[in-house]
Amino acid sequence: MDLAQAIAQPSVDWHALSPDIVLAAAACMVLIADLFLPEESKWLAMPLSAAGILGTLAAVVSLAGEHRTTLGGAVEIDTFALVFKGLFCVIGLIVLAMSFGYFRSGRYYQGEYYFLMLCSLLGGVVISSARELVTLFIALELISIPAIIMTALRKADVKSNEAALKFFLFSVLSTAVMLYGMSLVYGITGSTKLDEIRSSIASSADEPLVVLSVIFVVIGFAFKISAVPFHFWAPDTYEGAPSPVAAFLSTASKIGGFVGLLVLMFRAFPEVADTWRPAFAVLATLTMTVGNLIALRQQHIIRLLAYSGIAQSGYVLVTLALIDPSRPEANAQALESAIVYLVIYGIMDLGAFAAAVAFARKTGTYFLSDYAGLWRRSPVLATLMAGFLLSLAGTPPMAGAWAKLFVFAAAINSEVYWLAAVMGVNAVIAAWYYLAVVKRMFLDSPEVDEPIEVPYLLRATMGVAAFALLAVFIYPAFITSLADRSLL
Amino acid sequence: MPDSGVFEYLAAGLRGAVSRTNALPNCAFCVLVFGLSATLSYPRGSPRSCSHIATSGAVPAVPRDYFSQYITIGIFVLVGLGLVGVTLQLARLVRPNVPTREKYTTYESGIDPIGRGWTQTNVRYYIFALLFVIFDVEAVFLFPWAIVFERLGTQAFIEMLIFIAILAFALLYAIRKKMLEWL
Repeated sequence: MDLAQAIAQPSVDWHALSPDIVLAAAACMVLIADLFLPEESKWLAMPLSAAGILGTLAAVVSLAGEHRTTLGGAVEIDTFALVFKGLFCVIGLIVLAMSFGYFRSGRYYQGEYYFLMLCSLLGGVVISSARELVTLFIALELISIPAIIMTALRKADVKSNEAALKFFLFSVLSTAVMLYGMSLVYGITGSTKLDEIRSSIASSADEPLVVLSVIFVVIGFAFKISAVPFHFWAPDTYEGAPSPVAAFLSTASKIGGFVGLLVLMFRAFPEVADTWRPAFAVLATLTMTVGNLIALRQQHIIRLLAYSGIAQSGYVLVTLALIDPSRPEANAQALESAIVYLVIYGIMDLGAFAAAVAFARKTGTYFLSDYAGLWRRSPVLATLMAGFLLSLAGTPPMAGAWAKLFVFAAAINSEVYWLAAVMGVNAVIAAWYYLAVVKRMFLDSPEVDEPIEVPYLLRATMGVAAFALLAVFIYPAFITSLADRSLL
Repeated sequence: MPDSGVFEYLAAGLRGAVSRTNALPNCAFCVLVFGLSATLSYPRGSPRSCSHIATSGAVPAVPRDYFSQYITIGIFVLVGLGLVGVTLQLARLVRPNVPTREKYTTYESGIDPIGRGWTQTNVRYYIFALLFVIFDVEAVFLFPWAIVFERLGTQAFIEMLIFIAILAFALLYAIRKKMLEWL
């Protein structure tokens, strides 16, 4: 058979790929527009990007309820894919709102920044529907590589360079480990499609090579989602990066890693779950406990959020430690709780970052001691910040409470009581440092009385995010009904 | 897949090539390599006979087990390193030794080295190297496309135009950012 015969024309379902295509086109348009815009109107790249993301969101909505497979099974559109594509779009919009003032006043390569952000977001949109190892891997790299450049955008700042270098080195290392694991998986099963891997890996479940390959893949992902003991890069990178980029890394990049992990673990490797489930239990326990304990000592809001983000990853990892294909009901509940957690986490973490950015825009400081008496300087900002922190802590009346409760219930339902107990203890530790900030904002007296003006765009975005969290707390079926239908 | 690994094919190919020449030194070498590997990785069984001389009914002498195939590689590496050492020492024994000053310069038959080892290169060369990547990637995809172009028809043509347009954006970006001007 010659080469010409080997290459057949694939049938492509363009509608199924439309969100990805719209976003890619938008990224190109932003780059081109930036080239021809004069310096004083470069900020127009931001509304253009927002329009691109809204277009992507429209494409996602147009696919609602569909189940399509295309590109030979490499891409699959189901509710799971659409929920996360939508979530990435929302994250993109919030990060755009946070970036606008920051990059406009700093004159940091606005056009390139928005282009890179859209590219990274495209990685997230692609990974949501990727059901094949190579597609999954490329999407994951598409998230990471532009994010490294975004981290280094403040060229003159040594901390920004340090942050980008650390991120780059850890990213490369994790990629190498993950890719080796994936090559071993391909070597064992002879396929890169997740469904074929699932059916053929079960027969070789006893081989040590299977354990080795899955563990390598998991370690690679553990770097991306900053799970302990692979978390060292995260706080330094978040602190040094421009703070909207830190927010992006902490949500889009992390959720992208989790989406890949969920798809792999629930779709490709469930038949050998007995071999790797304990690894996730250990990883989850370490991540929750170490993240929370170190967060207790933080004096810098971005570092506090970084460690809190690490701890939050731990809660999602709990759901991966519950995977058991022999008990479909408990298995489905674990996946559902993971989806609910990630969606709520994305919004509340971005909200907290947005509040920190809004505070720093007027005061120029990120230290927690300067938050004292914020209630008297800006009641709006203090209330919003308190709302997001309460949500992260998992206390009513915010949606974070449901997120933790669902994971907790899933652990109980799977009869993994000790993990539920670890989670409960950690929720208490975490509440302490979140509430300490709230107490400082509302009860302590400020050193300076100067009121803080929050830009309208940020105020509106944070208001909508806080309202959404409140609404989900009151009526959780908004999200649970979606998660219910998005089983893999 | 693992039970008919790449190494086995490699070794089978090597044995085939060797058996056609049938020369004695090659044979001794193969006996050393394959015999050793077979002995090490099959501790229970006896080492097989030199399979490449017996042309018919050749049983793969290389083990089927995945990890023990690395023993073959290890032995190849050791023999390869040993060969370098042995030939260098052998040459030392037979050659005359007449040191002159010219022979001790860094490049005996080149230009005399001037200056220090650390030199500065204009950073703009790096930009050109990056720009080269655009065309490099383009060529990688254009060649297979060109081979099957007639079979694939209009759709493939349009797809390739889109691909080239996206790459052209990169070039346009470089031009607008004045990367192609030598200052």
